Amino acid sequence: MAAFCRGRHRWKKINCLHIFSRKLTGKYDYDMLVIGGGSGGLACSKEAQLGQKVAVLDYVEPSAKTKWGLGGTCVNVGCIPKKLMHQAALLGTAVKDAQKYGWQIPGTITHDATMAEAVQNHVKSLNWGHRVQLQDRKVKYMNLKGSLVDEHTVRGLNKAGKETILTAKNIVIATGGRPKYPTNIPGAVEHGITSDDIFWLKKSPGKVALECAGFLTGIGLDTTVMVRSIALRGFDQQMAGLVTDYMEAYGTRFAWKSVPNRVDKLPSGALQVTWTNTQTGGEHKDTFDCVLWAVRAPETKALGLDKLGIQLNKETGKIIVGADESASVPNIYAFGDIGEGRPELTPTAIKAGKLLARRLAGQSAELMNYDNVPTTVFTPLEYSCVGLSEEEAEKRHGKDRIEVYHAFYKPLEFTVAERDASQCYIKQVVCERGGNGKILGLHFTGPNAGEVAQGFAMSFCGATYSHLVQTVGIHPTCAEEVVKVHITKRSGLDATVTGC
Amino acid sequence: MAHYEEVNVHGYDEFCRAVSERKGKDIFAYFSGDKDEKGKSWCPDCVKAEPVVRGVLSHLPEGSVFIYCQVGERAYWKDPNNDFKKTLKLTGVPTLLRYGTPQKLVEEECFKADLVKMMFTED
Repeated sequence: MAAFCRGRHRWKKINCLHIFSRKLTGKYDYDMLVIGGGSGGLACSKEAQLGQKVAVLDYVEPSAKTKWGLGGTCVNVGCIPKKLMHQAALLGTAVKDAQKYGWQIPGTITHDATMAEAVQNHVKSLNWGHRVQLQDRKVKYMNLKGSLVDEHTVRGLNKAGKETILTAKNIVIATGGRPKYPTNIPGAVEHGITSDDIFWLKKSPGKVALECAGFLTGIGLDTTVMVRSIALRGFDQQMAGLVTDYMEAYGTRFAWKSVPNRVDKLPSGALQVTWTNTQTGGEHKDTFDCVLWAVRAPETKALGLDKLGIQLNKETGKIIVGADESASVPNIYAFGDIGEGRPELTPTAIKAGKLLARRLAGQSAELMNYDNVPTTVFTPLEYSCVGLSEEEAEKRHGKDRIEVYHAFYKPLEFTVAERDASQCYIKQVVCERGGNGKILGLHFTGPNAGEVAQGFAMSFCGATYSHLVQTVGIHPTCAEEVVKVHITKRSGLDATVTGC
Repeated sequence: MAHYEEVNVHGYDEFCRAVSERKGKDIFAYFSGDKDEKGKSWCPDCVKAEPVVRGVLSHLPEGSVFIYCQVGERAYWKDPNNDFKKTLKLTGVPTLLRYGTPQKLVEEECFKADLVKMMFTED
């Protein structure tokens, strides 16, 4: 471009620069180029299309065994298939409960490959839906593996290795994360699978982290979870304990404080795992049909970030970003799972992506609010939380300055089904003792925890304990127990709810 | 000569027969309300979409099949229990779909040549 200006047109340099500084197709191929077509990347690119020229690159580097379509982790190997399989497991439990409610169920109940095929078909329809939406909103989609060349240039490689160079005014990185194989453990890569593969297996695996382990147990498979130190790090640990207690009571095995040493394939085809219990020092081994590694790492390796000097957090490997999702180099942004300190959740990635698109288009200055994001862990006993854990609240405010209200309750549906409800529990962490304290954290284990907590998440825009207590409950539900909570931990009184 | 096969069928049974006779092939099906003697369909959206779809047929993959299926009269279509709705899960006409895959375009989506072309040319 510069050569064109200098050689051919003897205009004054000023005129040339004015032409080149014009927006849109004047200087760059695109106003915004997004690398990563997952929850965040798609939301961002679809939002930006008003008058802007936008492109999104999505490419799935196959894991050892699997590859999938547009939509990222959530759609293909995360939230969506996970929740469907969780539902499959819950239905298995419901069928067993049904007999107590009078349904005549002939014979034994077994589970087959119908689930996997149905889930995959739904996922494929979502891949197609995203394609149609992108096309409809005139977002240019390219199935290329993107990497940064400089702050306005991206190189895209297709699966045959052919290169395309693209330029953009702003580059947005939304590549998320992938499961990480522990390459230091012999046999881990060759013989193991990850969550990338579990949702696409045609044949049932034998034994497997908590949501996968939960639904696998629910569909009748003997599953063991090996935990290095604690479960659900970062979450309220009392609640994490209730979740794992429930799973243990319902048949999932746990190997606590254990680290795997090696995985060997036996002549029978089964996998032998050898591990060390770090508490006792003892070495153990056992055989499994399937080993699943459930640790994730950010997808930054192939992006060329070091070349541009984009700062990463040394421990997590994620991109360090400002409150406006900007990276350490101008015109480059990163958000979603790839952003340091961000929750690894689809709704926050979607919202942050939309707000970023609006800011980059000059339509708004609104920043994403990452506080009080509600989450649900879809284990067999679901767990939802909004706000601070008890530990975090104690740390920030001091144990004396907070009040914790709690209750053990029994879902009505569990009574006739004769199901154990010992881990169904509600905890509210409230700031400033006395009736008017602001709610800092809400924790709930029980059926449909996600549905229960969604509405209460709204109360975190400043609700106090007295607001909650003034709310009348809907009867009979589990959710009503949230507004009825009144026993404090401090009192030491029995927190079990008795029947109405 | 076209690089794809065009098949014209009328009604659900004929459609199923045409599909079963072409196992293993990449089948694209376009469902439209019946045309009268003058060649005009009772379904106005189908009238609008057909030239759009036909204009992109050259982009069909090599060796594929294009089935043009008239579903029936308006009264038949309105019945929520008709075979197309019940078994093929169609929700409206016109519908353009790639048989055996979740790829489909319904009603106004069929007016967009770029969407139709996308279905014909992408995996």
